[in-house]
Amino acid sequence: MLPKFSHVRPSSLRQAVQQLASSGSHVHAGGTDLLGCLRDGVFGAEKIVSITGIGELRGINSREDGAVRIGALTTLSEVATSPLIAQNYALLAQAAAAAASPQLRNQGTIGGNLCQRPRCWYFRGDFQCLRKGGDTCFAINGENEFHCVFGGSRCYIVHPSDTAPALVALDARAHIRGPLGMRVVPLGSFFVLPALDLARENVLRSGEIITHISLPPLAPGSISSYRKVRARGSWDFALAGLALALKLTGRRVDWSRVVLSGVAPIPWRSSETEKVLLGRDLNPRTLREAADAATRGAEPLSQNGYKVELVRGIVEESLRAIMESHPETPSERT
Amino acid sequence: MKQTEISSERNSSTDAQNLEPWTNPTVVGKPLPRVDGYERVSGSAIYPADLILPDMLHAAILRCPHPHAIVKNLNTEAARKSPGVRAIVSSADPEGKLVIPYPWWVPEGPPVLLFDQHCRYQGEEVAALAADTPYQAYDALRLMKVEYEELSHLLHAQDALKPGQPLLHNTGNLVRRPDTYQRGDLAKGFGEADVLVEETYETSCEIHATVETHVAVARWEGEQLTVWVPTQAIYEEQKSLAATLRLPVSSVRVISQYVGGSFGCKAELSKHTLIAALLARKTRRPVKLALSREESFLCAGNRPPNVMCLKAGAKKDGSLTALEFTNLGAVGAYADWADAAGWAAGSYACPNIRTQDTEVYINAGKARAFRGPGAAQSAWALEQMIDMLADKIGMDPVEFRLKNVPATHPRTGEPYTSIELRECLLKGAEAFGWTKARVARASSSDPVKRGVGVASCRWITEGGPPTTVIVTLFPDGSATLNMAAADQGTGTKTIMAMVVAEELGIPLQKIHVEHADTGTTQYGKSGGGSHSVMVYAPAVRAAAADVKRQLLEIAAGELKRPAIELSLKDGKIVPVREPGQPKNLSELKDLTRREQIAGIGHPPPEPKGRLIASFGAQFAEVEVNVHTGEIRVIRLLACHDSGRVMNPLTHESQIFGGMVMGIGFALTEQRVLDDHQTGRMVNANWHDYKIPTAKDVPFDQLCLTIDPKDAECNSAGAKGVGEIGTVPTAPAIANAVYHATGIRVTQAPISPMQMLALLAARREAR
Amino acid sequence: MNEDHDLKRTDDPCSRVSRRGFLESVGVGMTGIAVASNLSAQDAEELTEDAEPKKLSLVINGRKHMLIVEPRTNLLYVLREKLGMTGTKPGCERGECGACTVLIDDKSRYSCLTLAFEADGHDVTTIEGLVHGEKLGVVQQAFLEKDAFQCGYCTPGQIMAAEGLLRSNHDPSDEEIREGMSGNLCRCGAYQHIFKAVRRAAELKKEEGSA
Ligand SMILES: Cc1cc2nc3c(=O)[nH]c(=O)nc-3n(C[C@H](O)[C@H](O)[C@H](O)COP(=O)(O)OP(=O)(O)OC[C@H]3O[C@@H](n4cnc5c(N)ncnc54)[C@H](O)[C@@H]3O)c2cc1C
Ligand code: FES
Ligand code: FES
Repeated sequence: MLPKFSHVRPSSLRQAVQQLASSGSHVHAGGTDLLGCLRDGVFGAEKIVSITGIGELRGINSREDGAVRIGALTTLSEVATSPLIAQNYALLAQAAAAAASPQLRNQGTIGGNLCQRPRCWYFRGDFQCLRKGGDTCFAINGENEFHCVFGGSRCYIVHPSDTAPALVALDARAHIRGPLGMRVVPLGSFFVLPALDLARENVLRSGEIITHISLPPLAPGSISSYRKVRARGSWDFALAGLALALKLTGRRVDWSRVVLSGVAPIPWRSSETEKVLLGRDLNPRTLREAADAATRGAEPLSQNGYKVELVRGIVEESLRAIMESHPETPSERT
Repeated sequence: MKQTEISSERNSSTDAQNLEPWTNPTVVGKPLPRVDGYERVSGSAIYPADLILPDMLHAAILRCPHPHAIVKNLNTEAARKSPGVRAIVSSADPEGKLVIPYPWWVPEGPPVLLFDQHCRYQGEEVAALAADTPYQAYDALRLMKVEYEELSHLLHAQDALKPGQPLLHNTGNLVRRPDTYQRGDLAKGFGEADVLVEETYETSCEIHATVETHVAVARWEGEQLTVWVPTQAIYEEQKSLAATLRLPVSSVRVISQYVGGSFGCKAELSKHTLIAALLARKTRRPVKLALSREESFLCAGNRPPNVMCLKAGAKKDGSLTALEFTNLGAVGAYADWADAAGWAAGSYACPNIRTQDTEVYINAGKARAFRGPGAAQSAWALEQMIDMLADKIGMDPVEFRLKNVPATHPRTGEPYTSIELRECLLKGAEAFGWTKARVARASSSDPVKRGVGVASCRWITEGGPPTTVIVTLFPDGSATLNMAAADQGTGTKTIMAMVVAEELGIPLQKIHVEHADTGTTQYGKSGGGSHSVMVYAPAVRAAAADVKRQLLEIAAGELKRPAIELSLKDGKIVPVREPGQPKNLSELKDLTRREQIAGIGHPPPEPKGRLIASFGAQFAEVEVNVHTGEIRVIRLLACHDSGRVMNPLTHESQIFGGMVMGIGFALTEQRVLDDHQTGRMVNANWHDYKIPTAKDVPFDQLCLTIDPKDAECNSAGAKGVGEIGTVPTAPAIANAVYHATGIRVTQAPISPMQMLALLAARREAR
Repeated sequence: MNEDHDLKRTDDPCSRVSRRGFLESVGVGMTGIAVASNLSAQDAEELTEDAEPKKLSLVINGRKHMLIVEPRTNLLYVLREKLGMTGTKPGCERGECGACTVLIDDKSRYSCLTLAFEADGHDVTTIEGLVHGEKLGVVQQAFLEKDAFQCGYCTPGQIMAAEGLLRSNHDPSDEEIREGMSGNLCRCGAYQHIFKAVRRAAELKKEEGSA
């Protein structure tokens, strides 16, 4: 049962930002993550500021410069089924479709998906863990099967979002409105590692609201995909996932973005893998080297060593599929 | 002359034992929709959680967050003053010392105090309160202050008997003397074997996780207590409540018309039911107590985890020579069953066997019967072991099983009333395309490997008395069926109404089922052990036959014909010689004068010297992605001998449902305790404890049946079906995974995490 | 549909449940009528910051309901405890089972994770809303025919999910059905029959549409 709080539903952004000024207030978009946290006492709230009455935060549209704007209140279902997204950013549509369940996608928003709190069972459960202000991360010596293999320090959460790695791979930017006005943050620098800040997972300051996400156009002919592995067929977070965007000439990689989900406290961009791929032809050797690069530096805990294997597996598998569906590089043939 | 004919007819129909199974039934055996389907699909069925009584309060329970602790101090003052709070019960009250009796199938155990200051499992009840609204109840709960002294905890069966471990009870950590069974000469058997295999198997603790949590609504009228509670066993709960509260049994009424799933976890008196009754008595207002999902994970039962060590030998021709099966199971903090080995002694015709079951306490919620209790865990080990043997001698696993099908019960030597295990294996294999599927493996370069697996199963069921059923016929041709049986989704109501329809020749729509209420029905066995149909179908049939006899007697008097020259068809009396001249029941003046005819039925005793068991074989096809560890079940086929199929729709639902549960058992389900630290369950919710979703079950699911036309088992010719469907599924999947990958996964569940780790280990070993 | 009518309905002694719900939140002793006048006098102040009960109007199954509830109340609670519409079931109250599924503006959602105040201004459809008089809706009919349930507890949620799916996709493929039904757990494991029922319901809807 939810504890007590007040609820306001302003109709303008200005009002919403004002309402958020008081301490203990939280943004409510779809509420699917927020209400779960409040019910389980992960954190408390004095006031819920619902932004669902603010029309300008909805919808997907393309802009003249070729960029696409996704309002923060756009539901995951809308993202997953939008022809505009499917045509231009297949991996985002796939990532949104792979999240949670149909009902949650009908209700959960893209803004909320980026800002949802971690799913670590100690954090969500009745444990006074480090991230909640306690003094231990229980994952270190505990049940850490689902925890991170990259980027952990003191706390070993993984970032739960499926759309976040996709958006990072697409060089998307978050447009943020706060008490001091607007600011724009590339998604690649939106998320925060525990080493930097233990109490939050992103750069949002209190009182700030994501208004929309903008996506630059992908170079023509680019391909992208999102591959998610989970323990159960649906309704399950990623054990590991791979957001991949590539520009190829034949089988030669001209540009790539490789971002992993489910393995780090933030969407984990693997620049090393991108480096391996750059200018190389996709062939079994490149695939192997790319997979190696993606796992380099992994520091598994006692129970999550499988994630290293898994990263290797999905990187190889996804690249192989792309390799097999593309003709060999013309220069090679001649 | 006529007189004697009538009385002989009477004798044969009252004596239910003489009823032969139907030869050409017209209603029984048809795929009819459920009689309570309308209520269930329209949302109008009232489950206990849906009940709203005037002036009703809502209760909530304060639970110990630690697996092992002493309550040092409990302060309820702030909670008591919280808005809407009407009553609190805790260990400070005399009621706190009430002792909950064990159900009849658990013969003894340490006393279960309602509020024990020594808390032995996470979630143990510490106090409870009732408030005007559920929100107020939870607000108040947050204000209760408890000081605990944490004790060191014991989480693993393997540690329970070691020195230096915490003792749960002053009797120690052993639940009961290990149960050992032996036949033949084990050493000799191993000596005769051409191949020997040895392996340890483990199953995880599985939670029932019914979609409806446990709920109780209690109301007192003077000294009369009524409790609405979803349960398979109204009379068991009535008896236990009466004993605990020291009330005459007749003062307690238990009602359970709709049960939102049980699988064994709703069949005994739970503390929350007693708490609801106590709070209702204190406040003199009705009280509803609905457990949260988290609570139901912690303290509403589970399938206990087992560690099973097996050694088996076979000859090259496939005959089993010896089997040793040692099981260690953890029942949780109070007595229950965690057996597995004993089951194996009856599975195959093996001359030399030794089994041993040892059960211990650990600091976790108590086990409860869970669909195929013991048998499912046992099959996980044994059915994989059989595959290993077959593999070792290079024999097809189906053939190997056929070789060892027992003719009689191997443990007692008693014959079965029917056994079609052989047919199940053969017909199943044929329909599955087994031989071809065994050969057609994926090419070695493809990371997605395909494999098929088989497992067989057996489940013994007992019907028989005591149970009383009443069927009442009205002159308008409608009837009421009155019986104790609950219907937790098994279709019991529908099937029993079909039996009445069959016997009395009246349409299903005209039969009303009044059931699962100790206040209005007669004693009947609980719906457990898969025996509902075996107990109730013969009883209902006998009651209906009793009605029919009386009706024909009345008609015989009025029509001046001997009763045997009359029959009952489509709700009308039809003279056998003049079928064109039927008579409506409403035309029978004597019947109208009597207003109704009531027939009483009991199930006849079980056949002597014979065992009744259901059998089956299941086949699975899986795909394993060796890059990602993902396992997909792409095909499941079941072929079962459960006697007569009373209703193919509900029968198939039972088997499919069991198989889906088996998928969860095999691939995803596992209680996770915070092993090295707090000892608490970290996945007491439906996201982290993963039961199968629509995307985890294959489209290709088939259920075949074999009807042995068993005339001996009972007058319905039906055997049990409720539990057996889940028993072989998980090992069939594990065997398929082995066939696909060459990796034998001995520990359930076969998660992608485990699969990846095993694949990596194999790569390194090479 | 008009407010007056519905306020009277709320005060109707025959619908005890609604009335009780009403009184519970405004304090015993007041009559429903007094509350009503009280309400209409009170200006709808959008941004009151108060955790105490406040006025809310909801349109459920085409009918408007006036309520007074705490801001923290979820839609599931309002349906069941305030309005006595107990067809919608609780299973987990955290978006992990689907038993509480309702339609909001034709889309399936979990009522447990929807604050009652968030449903304001939207059309809520519950399992009760699919029945026409005594007649089952086509999805309900299909579930009945195919035995697409056992204990029936998850069933209202399954039916609402199927209804939502079919409202947006008239002719779903097998894979789309499976995906569409993947937000509802069934512990009885009735999925196979549920798939059949959804296929059947799609047919029935088509027949109904063409009739
Ligand atoms: C059972 C379950 C399974 C799930 N599985 C997955 C999964 O597999 N993959 C996945 O990606 N997600 C998964 N989710 C998460 C789900 O997708 C998110 O809950 C959802 O996307 C959040 O959106 P919302 O609009 O409901 O957010 P809310 O709950 O409203 O908000 C979430 C958080 O973000 C903040 N917030 C929301 N919008 C904004 C904004 N515009 N600006 C600033 N802050 C904001 C809120 O204050 C809050 O802290 C799952 C959730 C559940 C309950
Ligand atoms: S009760 Fe809402 S999803 Fe379970
Ligand atoms: S029918 Fe019982 S949970 Fe689905």
